[in-house]
Amino acid sequence: MRWRKHLDRLVVLVVLVALWQVASYILGSYWVSSPWEVTSRFFASLWSGELIRQSGYTIEESFVGAVVGGVPAVVLPFLLRRSPIMTAILDPFMVGGYGAPKLALAPLFILWFGIGTESKIALVASVLFFVVYFTTLSGVRALDAKLVQMAQVMGASEHQVARHIVFPAAIPNIFAGFRIGLPYAIGAAVIAELISSNRGLGYLVQVGAMNFDTTQCFVAIAAATLIVHAAGWMVDATERLLLRWRPAGDSLVPASGN
Amino acid sequence: MPEAPLLEIRNLCKRFPARQGREPPPWVIRDLTFSVNDGEFLTIIGPSGAGKSTLLNMIAQIDVASGGEIIFQGTRIAADDPKAMRPGLDRRIGYVTQDDLLLPWRTTIDNVLFALEVQGRLDDKSRAHAAMLIEAVGLKGYERYYPHELSGGMRKRAALIRTLVYDPPVILMDEPFAAVDAQTRMQLQEDLLRLWSLGRKTIVFVTHDIAEAIVLGDRTLVLTRQPTRIAAEHVIPFPRPRDVKHFFATPGFADIYERIRAEVQ
Repeated sequence: MRWRKHLDRLVVLVVLVALWQVASYILGSYWVSSPWEVTSRFFASLWSGELIRQSGYTIEESFVGAVVGGVPAVVLPFLLRRSPIMTAILDPFMVGGYGAPKLALAPLFILWFGIGTESKIALVASVLFFVVYFTTLSGVRALDAKLVQMAQVMGASEHQVARHIVFPAAIPNIFAGFRIGLPYAIGAAVIAELISSNRGLGYLVQVGAMNFDTTQCFVAIAAATLIVHAAGWMVDATERLLLRWRPAGDSLVPASGN
Repeated sequence: MPEAPLLEIRNLCKRFPARQGREPPPWVIRDLTFSVNDGEFLTIIGPSGAGKSTLLNMIAQIDVASGGEIIFQGTRIAADDPKAMRPGLDRRIGYVTQDDLLLPWRTTIDNVLFALEVQGRLDDKSRAHAAMLIEAVGLKGYERYYPHELSGGMRKRAALIRTLVYDPPVILMDEPFAAVDAQTRMQLQEDLLRLWSLGRKTIVFVTHDIAEAIVLGDRTLVLTRQPTRIAAEHVIPFPRPRDVKHFFATPGFADIYERIRAEVQ
């Protein structure tokens, strides 16, 4: 009964919007902007190009940061695979880095890299790096040693083992890392913009709050949410493309939607 | 019989390393000695837990021996030095394991071609050879299927021809047909014998199924329980080609079956 599920969702949506409307009515739209105001401002801002321009900055910072943080996070576990000693030496530092509150680094990054995109990229990269590093590492470690031995018996070199056995086996874990890490990483970009910037969705939130314009805050947050979901959707689509070999319903992180 | 055997196992020993603060574990294999001739189909039978897989792992150079020698084509392999181990001995020893170990992200054809690919021997001739093998075991039409889309028997066939395709002089087989139903197993045995009759490779085939050891082998070694030694050796006198499905009716089969059954404790 697919239509029934969608109908029930529609009901929940209507209830949520109604609650929002009631809250806005009781507290005053000065504090909580109404659904209608937010929706109309969202589209007005979209048509004027302002929302797209500001989102573009946030997307750019997130994307570059995801590459800067994500690529070394994927490559490092492969380099460390053959040296358990090196992995063990690095482990406490990686665990420490994973646990450190990266958002608290935002002011430092702004001091070091300025209020431009570089400080946001650094923050996104530092958030994503540790998440992807640990999921990839667990994938490389969970590898079936028998598959590697089989490939070696057949004459595969160390490099070929890494490329044909370890990498494909770790792909689900790599994607799980990006699926889990990207919402935090994009959130970090927004937070950094919020602290100090003259552009981006975080900047819109900051300016909105300063001008007691809650509508603008809601619009910017809605846009950031959409970006997170779009990023997640792209990760899912890429994963599906690369993991056609897997039986259906065998994913590490459930895909969003449906 | 040729003068020098292709593969010689001399006084091979194996015990796994002791855990800290405990007595060293007992010997799995102790002073095991036998040889395999060129072109021979040797079957090895033993009770489960007799260290049969460990023996094949040591010959394939993916497990280290605790003592003894392995001599291949007259050259001694450093079986007890983990640093000197060369898995598969430069592609001269093939290994069909108990689990099919197909790469789940590769289709049937790409799994079959995997060894040729990593060995840099992928050309029209080897592709044609692979296509011939795929057809010979009835996998034609399934080339583009992933392993999880194949039946257990089909996976076994793919795993078998994946090793046959690169033509190693010796192929070790570790109960490759253990996990399939009786009907499929007979079919697989028939396939294997047909493929073997084409190339006459040297095969060391480990099993715990007495009938399988007799129907496939030129010679059968019976192993004891741990620590593993050779309990008996039988030359299987039946002519080839052998009819797998009606082999139990062959005169003399019941006699040799009973003798081996008595020796396998």
